[in-house]
Amino acid sequence: MNSTTNTVEEFNVISDVFSQAITGELVGMSNFASLTDTIDDPHEKMEAVEHANSERIHAEVFTAYAKKAKLKVNINLNGEYWGSVRKQFLSYALQKDFIACLIIQEVMLESFAVSMYTDVGNALGGEAGGLFLSIANEEKEHLEHSSDILREEMRKNPSDFINKFEEIHFKCMTILAQFSATTDLRGHCGVCNDDCMKGSLHHIGLDIVSLRGNAMALYAGALDNIGIPGEKSTVWLAQLPA
Amino acid sequence: MVSATSSINFAVIGHQDNWESIERFVNGLRTSEQEKLPVDKIKNIFPFIPPRVLFKVKVKSITGSEINGIYIDTFISPDRLDTKYSKANIKKVTQAAACAEKEGASIASFGGFTSIILEGNFNFFANNGTKFTTGNTLTAAYIVKGVETAARQCNINLANSKLLILGATGDIGMACVHYFKQKVNQLLLCARNPHRLEKLANRLLVEKVNTKYHASVDEFLPEADIVICVASAIGLNFRECKKNVLICDAGYPRNLGKQINDNPDVRLFHGGMGQVRLGYYFNPDYTNSIYHYPVPGIAHGCILEAMVLAFENKFESYSAGKGNITTDKMEEIYACGLKHGITLAPFHNGNGLWTDQKKSN
Repeated sequence: MNSTTNTVEEFNVISDVFSQAITGELVGMSNFASLTDTIDDPHEKMEAVEHANSERIHAEVFTAYAKKAKLKVNINLNGEYWGSVRKQFLSYALQKDFIACLIIQEVMLESFAVSMYTDVGNALGGEAGGLFLSIANEEKEHLEHSSDILREEMRKNPSDFINKFEEIHFKCMTILAQFSATTDLRGHCGVCNDDCMKGSLHHIGLDIVSLRGNAMALYAGALDNIGIPGEKSTVWLAQLPA
Repeated sequence: MVSATSSINFAVIGHQDNWESIERFVNGLRTSEQEKLPVDKIKNIFPFIPPRVLFKVKVKSITGSEINGIYIDTFISPDRLDTKYSKANIKKVTQAAACAEKEGASIASFGGFTSIILEGNFNFFANNGTKFTTGNTLTAAYIVKGVETAARQCNINLANSKLLILGATGDIGMACVHYFKQKVNQLLLCARNPHRLEKLANRLLVEKVNTKYHASVDEFLPEADIVICVASAIGLNFRECKKNVLICDAGYPRNLGKQINDNPDVRLFHGGMGQVRLGYYFNPDYTNSIYHYPVPGIAHGCILEAMVLAFENKFESYSAGKGNITTDKMEEIYACGLKHGITLAPFHNGNGLWTDQKKSN
């Protein structure tokens, strides 16, 4: 316990929430850094570095708060789920597939980040809540920026683009769906300090069903925004693990 | 703005009213290698999905013309088809309407509960390129035509009958009241809102219509010869019904069948339904899971209203607001439907077609 939490349970779950957020930001930072190698355009390259730096700053801001609040933070970029997503990202980065990297980092991961940070921010309130909400707003810009690029890509060749998106969806969203299911479908994440935090979220006024549902809803909205037909995206969503 | 190159003539905005069909639908989308999801897991996913196009629809008229449409599901949970969830439901319906416009639909109808939520108030969409209709006029037309036809089949003389209308002050309920007020012996009116009910009944009494009204349906059920239910009705005591009472269930959700529990003294049909003689075709075809009827071509009147208006190139808010459905408009849209081979549906309920309908279908 510390001065900002009332119970041991609350302290533990907030510690785990910060652990996940910091790990996620560092995965994002690493992804954007890897993305720079896939880009030839110097301006786009600089922008990717800038995004990597913005994720680094987010990780630092979360870390600074966690330190001040004496939270028990565990960072693990190689955990079961974060490590798998990173591996998928790298497989596309190695092929210099900028569009695939954008889809993973800026659509899939950012949809989850924006939605979950918003829910966590609203639930926590105070300084910690404000932190999550302001970072959610910044991540939202990444999501919107990528949608413009991907819409243009979709316009060029809708069929090829949809096929490519579908392949990435099943490779990456399957991992995120397993990660956010009511029970960890692939075992412990390697980030939570003790047992999975999902069963303890009620201590801070949250529940995994709403967190996951809202994140999936934002992702579905992002697909609509890019122009993926609803007939397709509905099937993609229905085929995810639950 | 509606796209100038749009090939979408109409859109239908709807929802599912039971988890069984949603379970069939979701699991039907999963591959054979994927585990089937139980309803409790589906409940954790389905209501969060934003409104979207589920399938395209092609409809053929007997005149030879063909129209293309889309079905947009609101993904409103069947557990939340209640006015107490209005705020969240209005948000979903509004998103679905935006989806219809984005897809370039010329006309869109609000199916089932989605029109109840808006109560026909389309001010939200005043500046849209897409025109919206509740579809209530054709639904009401199929209810009244259905009751007249079924009464004839059941040897019930309308002029000697007492007609009970549950949900009498709603948009469709009022349309039924005005249609039947000079055709039956007595109107028995029920509605949840006593103030509106009294106001309606007083108007009818001024017109010298033989009318009784009560907030509780139990008062009237034992004396009714015909019942039209256009409201969600739970806990009705059908043991007290007259022998051979004719019941038209047109409420959302349709829940009278389970309450009647195969009482042989009751003849129940699902009202407000029409049939496209040349059929409609879904792509992808989900008719085995979410729009499954005993014979092909059956659809809700509200959905068919959008199709009829599209066939007629009549892109206007044909049914809007509350209490604006006139008998003339019901006759007009019903006749327009007939021109295109869109007719009253054969009588059916949860157990399938009425026995005497099976021969002709």
